[in-house]
This record gives sequence, C-alpha cells and structure tokens, in this order.
Amino acid sequence: RIKPTNETRNNRREQQSVSQSVSQSVMFPSQVMPNIFNAQGGTEDERGERARIASYMGAIAVADLVKTTLGPKGMDKILQPVSGDPNSKVIVTNDGATILRSVPVDNPAAKIIVDVSKTQDSEVGDGTTSVAVLAGEFVREAEKLVMRRIHPQTIIEGWRAAVKVARKALEDVSVDHSADKAAFRRDLVNIAKTTLSSKILNVDKDKFANLAVDAVLRLKGSIDLSMIQIIKKVGGSLRDSYLDEGFILDKQIGVGQPKRIENARIMVANTSMDTDKIKIYGAKVKVDSMSAVASIEQAEKNKMKKKVDKILSHNINVFINRQLIYNYPESLFADAGVMAIEHADFDGIERLALVTGAEILSTFDAVDTAVMGECKLIEEVVIGEDKVIRFSGVPKGEACTIVLRGASSHILDEAERSMHDALCILSQTTRDTRTLLGGGSAEMLMANAVEELAKKTPGKQSLAIEAFAAALRALPTALADNAGFDSSELVTQLRALHYEGKHDLGIDMKTGEVGNMRELNITESFKSKFQMLISAHEAAEMILRVDEIIKQAPRARGGDHPHA
Amino acid sequence: MGDSQKGNAKEKDVRLSNIIAAKAVADTIRTSLGPRGMDKMIQKADGEVLITNDGATILSQLQVFHPTAQMLVQVSKSQDIEAGDGTTGVCVIAGAFLSACTSLLTKGIHPTMIAESFKEANQKAEQILMGVAKPVDLAHRDSVLDAVNTCLSSKVVHQNADVLAPIAVDSVLNIIDPNTATNVDLNDIKIVKQVGGTMDDTELVHGLVLEKGAKHTAGGPSKVKDAKVALIQFCVSAPKTDMENNVVVSDYAAMDRLLKEERKYIIELCKKIKKSGCNVLLIQKSILRDAYNDLSLHYLAKLDIMVVTDIERSDVDFIARTMNLQPIAHVDEMSADKLGKCAIAEEVSIAGSTSRVVKMTGIEKMGKTITILMRGSTKLTLDEADRSVHDALCVVRAIVKKRYMIAGGGAPEAEVALKLTEWSKSLTGVRSYCARAFAEALEIIPYTLAENAGLNAIRMVTELRNRHAAGDVYAGINVKKGCISNMWDEHVVQPLLVSTSEISLSTECVGMILKIDDLVPVR
Repeated sequence: RIKPTNETRNNRREQQSVSQSVSQSVMFPSQVMPNIFNAQGGTEDERGERARIASYMGAIAVADLVKTTLGPKGMDKILQPVSGDPNSKVIVTNDGATILRSVPVDNPAAKIIVDVSKTQDSEVGDGTTSVAVLAGEFVREAEKLVMRRIHPQTIIEGWRAAVKVARKALEDVSVDHSADKAAFRRDLVNIAKTTLSSKILNVDKDKFANLAVDAVLRLKGSIDLSMIQIIKKVGGSLRDSYLDEGFILDKQIGVGQPKRIENARIMVANTSMDTDKIKIYGAKVKVDSMSAVASIEQAEKNKMKKKVDKILSHNINVFINRQLIYNYPESLFADAGVMAIEHADFDGIERLALVTGAEILSTFDAVDTAVMGECKLIEEVVIGEDKVIRFSGVPKGEACTIVLRGASSHILDEAERSMHDALCILSQTTRDTRTLLGGGSAEMLMANAVEELAKKTPGKQSLAIEAFAAALRALPTALADNAGFDSSELVTQLRALHYEGKHDLGIDMKTGEVGNMRELNITESFKSKFQMLISAHEAAEMILRVDEIIKQAPRARGGDHPHA
Repeated sequence: MGDSQKGNAKEKDVRLSNIIAAKAVADTIRTSLGPRGMDKMIQKADGEVLITNDGATILSQLQVFHPTAQMLVQVSKSQDIEAGDGTTGVCVIAGAFLSACTSLLTKGIHPTMIAESFKEANQKAEQILMGVAKPVDLAHRDSVLDAVNTCLSSKVVHQNADVLAPIAVDSVLNIIDPNTATNVDLNDIKIVKQVGGTMDDTELVHGLVLEKGAKHTAGGPSKVKDAKVALIQFCVSAPKTDMENNVVVSDYAAMDRLLKEERKYIIELCKKIKKSGCNVLLIQKSILRDAYNDLSLHYLAKLDIMVVTDIERSDVDFIARTMNLQPIAHVDEMSADKLGKCAIAEEVSIAGSTSRVVKMTGIEKMGKTITILMRGSTKLTLDEADRSVHDALCVVRAIVKKRYMIAGGGAPEAEVALKLTEWSKSLTGVRSYCARAFAEALEIIPYTLAENAGLNAIRMVTELRNRHAAGDVYAGINVKKGCISNMWDEHVVQPLLVSTSEISLSTECVGMILKIDDLVPVR
C-alpha cells in the first residue's frame, strides 16, 4: 500500500481542515443528504473536497514512488513479494512500468497513473517513468490552484490551450534525418544510448546501443519485435552478450540423429506422437487372449509408424514438434537420418514457424500444399554450460537473437527489460523518424512556450497555463535532484538560456552543468516525448474532473450474498 | 559535482541494510577460502548432512531470504557456471567491495558514480592480470596439472590430489582436440560414484561404467567377451496397450492358454533379440509398465545374454555416443548394425561394499567420452570428492577456454591492488577515490588466505605488498611454509579465467546492489 510521505501527510491535514470549513459553509449538512447508497453493503461515498484531495494524494504518492528512478542517476527498486508463495521472485528494476504494475494500488486516481504508465509501455515502450512523474506533477500543480479556489474546469480549459502550444513547440523543434542513412543510424544509436543510460546496461551502453540498433535495422521498418529473440544465460558478464544472426532454440536434438544439417527442410508441427487415443472416457477393449493384446499393441505401434512415414513423405530432414516425441518415433526418425526436436515450447514453435517460413502442421495428409520451413544451417552451439540449437541463414533475414549473459538472474531479467525498452523505442523511431534532444531540454522548451502563452492570456486560465509550465519544469528538476545537483540553480539557468533562444541546452548529467545536448548526443525519440505529454495531460485532466468517488462494496464471496 | 548525492534518510537505510545482508553472506563463507580454509557442515531440513568446502554448494544450501543476499548466492552460481572454481572467492571479493562502498557512500559519493568507477577499475584490472599471465600449451600436461593441484589443495580431498588431479586432466584432454577446442562439454565426462574402498581407488575408465550390476536372478552371465551391446527402449514383458484393455477369462482352460501365450510372446521377443547377435542387453527404465519380468530374465539368461536394467532415459544419449550404438525402440528394429561392440563387458564388484558395477572396455569406434569411477569410504566423502573433481574439471576447462595461467596464492590480487593504486593516482576526482577503494578491497584475498592459515595476516599482506612493489609480480603467500615466495616456483598456479571472472562478476553484482534505493513490497 502506498503511504504518503510525512510532508504530504501534513499538507493533507491542513487541507482537510480547510476543506471541512468549506464544506460546512457550501454543502448541505450531511444529515440532509438522503442515503442513496446501501451503506450496509459496504458501498463508500466520498464527495467534494474530500474526494478531490483523496484522488490528488493518491496520484501524487504513486508518482513520487517512481520519481527517484528517473534519469541516468536514478535508483533501482527491489520489488519483494510479501505473499508466502515460494515461486514469486524478487525483482530488481528501474523500469517505471514494471514497478507500477507490481505495486498494489487501492486509490482510484493512483490506478489512473499506473494505467497511463502501462499505456506508454505498450505504445512506445520507454518513458514509462517520465509519464507517471509528469502526470503527478500536473496534479500537484492543479491542487495548488484548486486551493486558491479556481474551478477545476477553468484549469482544464487553460491546460488544453497549453498542451496545444507545447505540442507545436515539440513539433517545431523536432528534426528528421530519415533521408540520410548514416545520420539516421547515428540518431538511432544516440536514442538507444539515452534510453539505456538510465538502465542497468548503462555500463556498456555503446555496445548494447549498437546491438539494439543492429537488431532493429534488420527488421527493415517492421515493428514486429517477436522477430528479435532474447535469450538469457546466467554466467559470464554483461559484456559477453552478443547478437546472433538467426534463431536459437534452447532444446536438445534426439539421440542418434545428425547434429548438423545444411540446407535444412524443416517441418514445424504440433501433434502428439504417441498413439492416437479415442477421446471417450472409459473406452476400453475386451479380448480373450494374450496374442490379441499383443496384436493391439502392434497395431498401436503401426499407427505411430504410419504417422512418422506420412511425416517423412514430406521430404524433410528436420522435424520439430511442440509435444513430446517418444522413443519409438525418435528411433524411426533417426533411421531416416532426420533431425527431430521434441517439446519445443509454444513460443519457440511460433517463432520458428515465423522465421523459417513454415506453417505449423498437425495433420499430414496434404503433402503438396503443406508449407515447409527452410534454413541454411542447423547446428549445436554451446552457450555457458548449455547446448542449444542454432538455425542460421533463415529466409526471414529480419530474425535475430540477442544472447544476454550476466552475473545473476536478477541482472539478466533487468537487462532483458532494458533491452526490450530500447528495442521498442528504436522500432517506433523507424516508423516516426523525428527526434528531439533529451536531458530536459525538450521539457524546458515546452515550458517556455507555454509560459509565453500565459503572458498573453487574460483571466484565470493564465494561472492554469503557468502551472502547466511549472509541471513541465519538474522533470528536469527531478533529473537534477536524483543526481544530487543543485536543481533550482540549474533549472532557472536553463530557463533563462532557453529564453535567449538556446534551445539545444539541457542538463549535462556528467558534469552537473548546463550543456549542449546536440553536442553530447543526448537524443530522444519524438514519439516518446509526444506520447508522454499527451498521456500525462489526459490522465491529469481525468483526475481533475473527479468530484465524487463511489466505492462499490466488494462482491461478497461465498453463499450469503447480501442482495441475494 | 555530478557525483555527490544528497538522498534522504530512508534511502540510506535501505542501502545500508542491503549491504549488511550481502556482507553477512560473504562473511559466512570467508573462512572456507584457501588451502587452510575450513569446511562447513550443513544439516538439511530432512536431516541429511553435507560437509563441504565448496562455496557454491554452501550457498546453494543456505536458505537466504533477503533479496540482496540472494543476489550474492546467484553470483556464486554464475561463477560456478563460468569458471567452475573460485566460487568462494567471488563472494569474498563482492563482500569486500561492499565494505569499500559503505565508506565511499558515507563520503556522499553518488552510488551510480561508484558503480561506474568500479566498472572502469575492473577493466583495468583485467588488463593488469593479462599482463602477468603466461600462455599455456595444453600439450604440456604438467603445467595444467599444477593448476588442478592448486584447485584441489583447498578441498577436503587434497591429500588425494595426486590421484585425482591426473584423472581430471587426462579425462578432459581425452575428450577434446587440444589444438582446436575452445570449450569443453563436461557432460561428456561421466562420474560414477560408488561407496567402498578409498579415494585412491578412483580410476579413469576408457569405456563405459554402468552404476547398476547385471541381473542375476535367472543365472545370466556376468562377463562377456566380444560383447555386442544393444540398448533397448521397449519392454520385454507381457504386452500392454495404450488403451485400457481387459482380458476376459471364462474358464480354467482359457487361463492356462493365456499363460502359455504370454510365455510364447516373451520367447518370441527374446529370440528376436538373440537373432540380431546381441549378447549384452541394456534395458531402459519404464514407468508405465514392467520393463522386464522374471520370465524374460530367465529366457535371456538361457540365451546367454547379459542383462542390465533400469537405464535412465537421460543416460541414453551418453551411452549411445560412447558405445557408438543406436537405441532400439521396437523389437522388429533389432539389427546387427545398431549394436555397439566392445572387447569385454564384465561385472566388477566394488571392494568393501556389496554393490557392483558393469564395466565395458575396448569399445570399438568409441565416442569422445570418458568415465570416472569414483570411490570413497563414505557417502559424505564421496559427494565432496565429486564436487572437488567437478571443480578440477572446470579448472581444466577454464584453461581450454582461455589458454593463460597466472600465479595463485593471492599473487594476482596483490599485483592488481598495487598497479590499480598506482593507476588511481593518475586520475582525478571521485574516480580516483573509487579506484583506490577497489584496489584496497582486493587485498581481502591474500589477507583471508593468511588469516585462515593462522598466519599473522597484517604482516603477511604488508610484506607481500613490499615484494610486489619491488617488482616481484609472482610473489604470493606460501601457506604451507608460512612465508612469501614465488608462486610459479611453488607450482601454485590457476587459470586466468577464474580470476578475471571473479572480479568482473562481483563488480557487476555490487553495481546492482548499490543502485537500489527502495524495497517495495508487492503482491
């Protein structure tokens, strides 16, 4: 459960006293309100100021939880399962979406923030922490305005104007290098480095950035990340990770079968290789002699053999099955010189079918129409202590495997998450090729544009617009704070410099000074920033509009349902 | 500057408790480092007792709950996978790094900065180690033997090192091509453990050893010359269908007929087996039905076929490769070309115990595999010997992977510490501070070696430092004589891979622990 920090709790107490006086003067005394909800059913109802404060608090608390993970000097969190389930695993992570997904949240507004982070994860894959923090800052600023008795709808109106300006500012400053291949690749590497710099792969980010870019460029514009397989093997260190062209299957080749096949013709199947059983419960045969039993057994064996013969009639030399291949069919395959791989899991089968161009078969009658997969070479390779099977020269040149090595499974899991984020953002960037500068410069730029608007806008909305700018500036502030820099000094300096039109400036996280982001190659994808702005704004607006929280009673378990 | 951190009180508490937990694990096994390190006795929940000196084994038995302590256990595991040896050392180094971090953190240095600087120092350390390493030729057996002896010297079995070390070296050299190999698949070396006799009776078998004796119930042969071995995966017993079946018996005569039929069926099977020329039969274990019955054993014995039953499915691949045979899954598939041939297959009884093993030697076209028949007086010593031999095999493998060796006895750590300290002086800012702390932390290895040997640790380490400063890069702690001497001359050497992976794995793990600032309970 999220607990508000001491500071916010004190705030809350003050606000509550304020809100009480407000509600007493403005709202009806509670006795007059008819009890619309079945209070005995456990339905809870909070309205007006109380509801507002409850939802603001929840949103801010969640955002603050992930705030310290922001940026290259952000810290990690251990997620420790409290349930007694021995299978639940400790996770060490820096990924906002992973943290927020795992934390149990009761507060409805907090759930909205969590959802926004999840959306960001599925839309662009990166910036999951930023979006939650920004949404939290919006709410924090709104809270101040509401305390000053500005109507939430006024704030919303102001924000809508502000977000338009911010979007325009972002679009204007974005650059597109997609025409120039070399420059675009450089952009991609820089984006990957920027993303990875806040993750565990930071230490070897040059290597991993290039790895991710190579993998994504192989996709040739497709965003189907299932072509990129990530295999984790404990042992070695992160530096020993590599990109392998082709596909790696973590399985064993059957006994007595060829261990290396060139120009393979592959059948990918999902079929049971034991005797086909009648699927009627209790079906049995009655015989009156032992030889009859023997002949049934023989018949069963023959059926197996027939199936194998049918499979072999497809003129294949590799057979891969999702289910088990038993001893008898295995030896039949071995006799035919066919490599048979059993028990390839579902994921493996699907990917194999995809990369080798095969169709997953479960019947084997249509020899002519069945589609087989192909690949140049299949062989056994050793990673760490384990033997795996490598398929290289697959027809889908896009496919590749990233083999991650590391000191512990925690490191590997986190490395996989980081790699996944980088791959996501890169593949998105190959779609929308515009880029921006990072290090807080994009946020400062937007903030200044929004502030300009505030100056021109008459009326209360102007205050809301100003607040919007302040919230945007909170991101570079958090970046600096996490690194232990003097954030107020840095951010104000940045603001002044941006007003002079120096839009390339941001925070140099190495020196703790204002630096030129273009020269430092701190690049971010336009899509990610843009999505962050839109989602955070939408979420904050949604929270702001709330004036009543109705909590329905949890559905009663067991027989005695109160309404039944 | 960008490397300091303000942080709040809670953050510091979390980090400190993480470090303390991880250090506790490191301290637990610190006393088992080195040739004079002590063993640990572990009593498992089911009452079984385990005595070991192997860091990875101790840690895998500890049931640690704290997440960072678990991370340290994991590091030891990956060292086991990567290098096989040095599983204790990697934890001890990680613990020392963490102590160094505590003091760096109190100075207000930002954790990510420490992690980055450590990573840099780690790379530098690897260069330094490479500088003092000597290339090794696998054809030169003695030098490999030295490394294995060093590894075994810290184990329970070190008095048997003169028997076990050559076995470990020879077994690996037998299954690889020394000129081209870059890795060794240790699955190609089978270790068969038998209680009885002493560890000195351990032998290397150029052939196959099966843990089970032959079946004698029906008086079958126990020694076969010019054996033709078949490995069958079908059952030599009454038929059984996958579908449920009932045999309906209406009168007594029918029952008699049934029995006769069953007998006939089995005779038929046995005849087919004999027809292929097979005289040694290995039967795979079967769960759903009997793999054999008394009747079939009787007939097979009459046909002069030696029978070994209960072969595990996981062993089938190894046997097939070793004997150059093909497993047979159906009786009609029995043919002479699927059989493996060997000069002699015999049942050998183990002195001092009732158990027996089947040994097959003189195998025709033998695969690149080998078997170690390990003996020991009790199960405890046998298990420990197994672990030690595994470590020894890993040492040889580490040399095959990276053909360099360095001196042992704390010499490389002392050298790295010295050179890194010098290097740190060329740096400025926080980096220099961290690199120096990194270097000092490495001295934990010679320090612990001396301490565990009951020597005056401080005097030893300072003397070692002196010698290294004077340019004696191979000087290390001679635990036996209690002095500092040249480790190459003492034949105390270890593979380069063990040391480099010790340092890099622990650096990686410490980096991760440092970066954690909060412990969030989740569902």
